[in-house]
Amino acid sequence: MNSLVHLLRRGRGLLLPMVLIGLWEIASRQGTAQAYAFVPLEVIGQGLVELIDSGALLISTLASLQRTCIGLLLGVTLGIAVGASMAMSTVVERVIGPLYHMMRQVPILGLIPLIALWFGSGEGAKILIVSLAAFYPMTLNTFEGFSHIEPRYREVGRVFEFGPVQQLTQVLLPSALPSIANGALHALAFAWVSSVGVELFLSTGAGLGNLMMNAEAGSRMEVVVIGVLCIGLLGYAMNQLFTRLSQHLLRWRDTR
Amino acid sequence: MSSLISVAAQPRVFIRRVRPNRLSWFVSPLLVLLAWALVAQSGRYSEQLLVPPAVVWDTFKDLLDSGELLEHTRFSLSRLGLGFALGASGGLLFGIALALSKTVEVYCSPLFHTLRQIPSIALIPMFILAFGVEETFKILIVTKAVFFPVALATSEGIKAIPRNYFEVGRIYRLPLRHLIFDIAFPAAAPPILTGIRIGLSRAWMVLVAAELLAANSGLGQMIEMARQLMRIDIVMVGVVVIGLIGFVLDHGFRLLEKRLFRWKTR
Repeated sequence: MNSLVHLLRRGRGLLLPMVLIGLWEIASRQGTAQAYAFVPLEVIGQGLVELIDSGALLISTLASLQRTCIGLLLGVTLGIAVGASMAMSTVVERVIGPLYHMMRQVPILGLIPLIALWFGSGEGAKILIVSLAAFYPMTLNTFEGFSHIEPRYREVGRVFEFGPVQQLTQVLLPSALPSIANGALHALAFAWVSSVGVELFLSTGAGLGNLMMNAEAGSRMEVVVIGVLCIGLLGYAMNQLFTRLSQHLLRWRDTR
Repeated sequence: MSSLISVAAQPRVFIRRVRPNRLSWFVSPLLVLLAWALVAQSGRYSEQLLVPPAVVWDTFKDLLDSGELLEHTRFSLSRLGLGFALGASGGLLFGIALALSKTVEVYCSPLFHTLRQIPSIALIPMFILAFGVEETFKILIVTKAVFFPVALATSEGIKAIPRNYFEVGRIYRLPLRHLIFDIAFPAAAPPILTGIRIGLSRAWMVLVAAELLAANSGLGQMIEMARQLMRIDIVMVGVVVIGLIGFVLDHGFRLLEKRLFRWKTR
């Protein structure tokens, strides 16, 4: 009896979503006009089965994930390089800093028309957008990580007469790593969102964004809903995965 | 004693290092501008593809004189304003309810934290299908983009108020009005304002994206139209204006935060 009450108590959070889904289902049965905006759950289920059977969902998801990974890799690598060199050298900071901060102000998707005109609407343009989206937070966080290193750590390095390489690997990098990991987490989120975003605009090739855009053109709400759910779910999963991974890898640092 | 001297000496060193460098912030943008002008003049790329800076400037003045630019900006900003007002007030109310009421938290937080995961951009096609391509969809997508960060920041900001603040208030037998306005509000306001700022800049990004995809007015529509007409000069003007507005919104809010929370000791 007690465990049943406990179960009911824990299930309270599910009540509201279930009520909303119920209302959605009722709204969808109010006539064809309503069924257009609120697709019945049954149709969503059928759509999911159809998308999985035809392989469209898998292909689109893999294409989006691949684009995100390539863009992320490029953006993170470049971001760490630029951020670190900006933090190490005042000259570099003065040269790149103003350009970086100016560029950063433009919403990334606002750049799509310009990049599409210059680089076409193929895979290259898309990866450029995704890597830019990953590059901005990565640079900022790497820069902050390297410029907020406690002076006494450097002094310890000096006392031990570390060479430049040792200073970098033994002192600077370990202190900057938490901030870099944080930057990578942001970069991941931005890369995923912009990868989906750019697919909505540049409709060549496969991707979850394309899948949704085609479904929108054909007014197939169920496919759009499935797309939204997939995007949310995958974004959440990647975020969790990365957070766990970085917590594991950074477990040596004393948590404040 | 020696530490006192070094502290006193520090500002001078700092000023000496920074002052002559102030102008250096402009060096690299100017160099890029110069390089752009030179490459454009050299004729290696067609003028349609690499528009000279002077032409972009002329286009900017034309768009400004004809009132076209201001009209598009006005449309975009009024959408942003309306959606922001709805989203921020809704987010504030919901955030307060989520923080103060255990019942609201138990019933609503799982749904809230699930929906929060969905990127606003991904919702654009769904909103278009559900609400059409007219104003409603754009305002609602802005509302959505503002609501979640504001609600989250509000509920966490309120929950983070140290309990002993209230205990002190209770010892002084402050009336509820003072407890709210003199203790709770100042303590929770900084994170809430940060949440509002984040919401605003996300909303601006989403609005531009929504206008790119489906609109008959607004800055996003202006550059999308120009893209179809291959007018890179208009696209560039639009991109710069969009960036400028984003910058002004974000930094305006940062300045506001600084001014309002001068009393904060950090």
